[in-house]
Amino acid sequence: MKRVLLSTFGTVAGLIALLTFKSQGHPLTTTGALPSAGLPGSGSSSTPTTAPPAGGDTSGGSSSAPPPAASSSSAKAASRTVAGDAVETRYGVVQVQVTVSGNRIDNVSFLQLTAFDGRSQEINGAAAPILLQETLSAQSAHIDNVSGASYTTDGYLQSLQSALDKAGVR
Amino acid sequence: MTSAATLPRPTAGYRRVVECMGTVFSFDIRTPGVGAAAVDEAEQWLRDVDATFSTYRADSEISRLERGEITMRQCSADVRTILAECEHLAVETGGWFSMYATGRLDPSGLVKGWAIERASDILARHGSIAHSVNGGGDVQCAGDAAVGRPWRTGIAHPLLPGRLAGVVVGTGLAVATSGSAERGAHVLDPHTGRPPDGLASVTVVGRRLAYTDAYATAAYAMGHGAQDFVEGLAGYAAFGVRVDGAMWCTSGWGNETGGSAG
Amino acid sequence: MASAISQGTAPLHLSPSRPLRLDPRVALGMIAAGALAVIALWWQDTFFVQGLGDWLTNAGRITGLLAGYAVVVLLALMARVPALERGVGTDRLARWHAMGGRYTVCLSVAHTLLIIWGYAVAAHTGVVHETGTLLTGYADVMMATVALGLLIAVGIASARAARRRLRYETWHFVHLYTYLAIALAFSHQFATGGDFVSNLKARVLWSVLYVVVAALLVWYRLLAPVRDLVRHDLRVAGVRRETAEMVSVYVSGRNLEAMRAESGQFFRWRFLTRGLWWAANPYSLSAAPRPDLLRITVKVAGDHSAALLNLQPGTRVIAEGPSGGFTAARRRRRRVLLIGGGVGITPIRALFETIPAGTSDITLLYRANRPEDLVLKHELDELAQHRRAHVHYLVGPIKRGANDHLSAQRLRALVPDIADRDVFLCGPEAMMSVTRQSLELAGVPTRHIHSESFVF
Repeated sequence: MKRVLLSTFGTVAGLIALLTFKSQGHPLTTTGALPSAGLPGSGSSSTPTTAPPAGGDTSGGSSSAPPPAASSSSAKAASRTVAGDAVETRYGVVQVQVTVSGNRIDNVSFLQLTAFDGRSQEINGAAAPILLQETLSAQSAHIDNVSGASYTTDGYLQSLQSALDKAGVR
Repeated sequence: MTSAATLPRPTAGYRRVVECMGTVFSFDIRTPGVGAAAVDEAEQWLRDVDATFSTYRADSEISRLERGEITMRQCSADVRTILAECEHLAVETGGWFSMYATGRLDPSGLVKGWAIERASDILARHGSIAHSVNGGGDVQCAGDAAVGRPWRTGIAHPLLPGRLAGVVVGTGLAVATSGSAERGAHVLDPHTGRPPDGLASVTVVGRRLAYTDAYATAAYAMGHGAQDFVEGLAGYAAFGVRVDGAMWCTSGWGNETGGSAG
Repeated sequence: MASAISQGTAPLHLSPSRPLRLDPRVALGMIAAGALAVIALWWQDTFFVQGLGDWLTNAGRITGLLAGYAVVVLLALMARVPALERGVGTDRLARWHAMGGRYTVCLSVAHTLLIIWGYAVAAHTGVVHETGTLLTGYADVMMATVALGLLIAVGIASARAARRRLRYETWHFVHLYTYLAIALAFSHQFATGGDFVSNLKARVLWSVLYVVVAALLVWYRLLAPVRDLVRHDLRVAGVRRETAEMVSVYVSGRNLEAMRAESGQFFRWRFLTRGLWWAANPYSLSAAPRPDLLRITVKVAGDHSAALLNLQPGTRVIAEGPSGGFTAARRRRRRVLLIGGGVGITPIRALFETIPAGTSDITLLYRANRPEDLVLKHELDELAQHRRAHVHYLVGPIKRGANDHLSAQRLRALVPDIADRDVFLCGPEAMMSVTRQSLELAGVPTRHIHSESFVF
């Protein structure tokens, strides 16, 4: 019985420890809280004002609450977007962005870059070639698709996207 | 088709590659049960857009409008919408986005992104809550690639073929990259008529691709002014690679990226 | 070792040339390292955990990964890998397997519940609805669910309360369904596992792990015994009744030194004759293994052992093994005390023959209830004479307290320097636990008490 209790507690404690570690490290700081309310007239974050010919407009596949900022263009935005601290990871510098409404965190997303700070660019000007060598290879980055300057049909064949498409076709 | 919140299926799902508009569109649907029918409709949509807007086809509405064979009032609602939006964008970007950059009427800087965005909506109407559509390097995603795992979009390095300059991770993002890497000097500085210098490529990330794509086109044309421009846009973020390989990004990576769609 | 040790005049026997032995601590260390690697896989795939749905789903992922890993570890423990059998010991392996099995079933259940709940929260639906979605949306998940059911059934059947009621054969048959469960659950790991989906390297490594363990199982449990059968031409040479209850079976063969059996070890014997071929029962060698002869001495109790009496010479035999860690390799001290009781005298008798020792370095205590229960007595006496060892026959009923033959007082009286000896102990469970207590009372450190339990 003692062993059962021990292993149960040990497992639960271990899980909590692992998960807690992964949910920390990004203290929320409001680096000039950016307004997230609706944009002046352009409707760029929500559906455009004219109905597309193909039928009713739906914002891309949202199954839950509408995007926090699309509706309210009032001065006091219900949700706030704050940026976390930049953290060193093995891909480079990661910065987290969090959308908060009230006390609740609505969404978290983040960006990975090899370098992001304009100032560090100047300081490391001579190191620019090194930066290039830290660029990621498509295999190790585990990407789903590739964005790049427009390719033609011929250009597609040489592109990273075509490699991904080929791998995904069964 | 189920409208329930079915989960995306990572190694299954449906994929298709479609040639259209002189480029290639890659469909990647992760929601189980959404497949051929949805992509068929999306593909047809793309071809319709091509027929209407292609500047390479003499019988497209745009070409006929350009030649003066028809007037604006005779154009379809889509064309009028697009042209109106282009005007608006030209004002908003201080002329850096222009449908006359090449000298002839060419709204393709907005049309392609808009077409992809609509194609994504078509998939959504068929019940998909997790998919990505990549048209010639501009991507519209919905939802996540797998449960708890957002889409990961690599950014092709403009100076190192085959490598990535970065990876964009998020839920339901639109990612548009503009640069000289592929097609040479297809993006021209509307003010000078020549390819812009300073930037090898710029990637703009937003929620929906039509405007994201247009902003990316404008930003690239701006060159050195791109960073400040996107800083001033609420809901967008940008990442640029200069011709010397140096990289920059806008602060806080903006609002609205990875919003709770899907 | 002290220079006084010699082989004495022990009869010709095999001395295996240092076969590989995996220390139990090393084995545990390897298992733990694997578990850490598995957690590291999740760690490097996960960037940020936020919200109830994320917490639940990721806890579900971790438990799922660990369960998928634990399953191959459990199989590996039972693969009859000689290095493990010798080093860790068959009985300890079985205990680890039993404990680990219970834990793995719990991990699997936890994994299932956490994933369902986590997905439901993320998709903002109810748990019941989510279960339906998961089951119907993916063929692999349906198979994994069946697998879970099988695992739970096997777990229930393996509970002590159930095992007592089931015949060994029935329990064994039910237990085989774990193979099916593992096969059914395998594909959903790759199809829906967040850590495998876009990570080809992880999928490859995981598959390699499963394939390696499967190969070990197939080799050591299926192919190697058949190879040995052919290579060594094992056959029953004769059967001899030793006492009313004990029977010796002589198995002949050739080049048996290649099997690397050691005194104290056992094989699982499958006699290829009607009524016996379907069972592989464990019996210890009751004499040192010879290049052409192995002997076992069996207590005639159930149907199986009674049938041994009728074995015909020439019957082919499959000997799976050797297994067991109850060997001279455990010995650390110069002087040795061997204690055997009941059928436990068999490995003791083998050790008595070959364990290296000098004059008066070995003492053997043989506990039996009645004089007629003593088996192989004449051999023990002869060996004692040859090896200048001491034998004491402790015959009589069990008594209480200090008067019992195996009480601490009696043991110290018989073997005054008992606290300085290595003790090898084998016999019925009750006798062994009593003796262990006495030994500890008599001052023998636990690490110098070596025993093998037949009930595992």
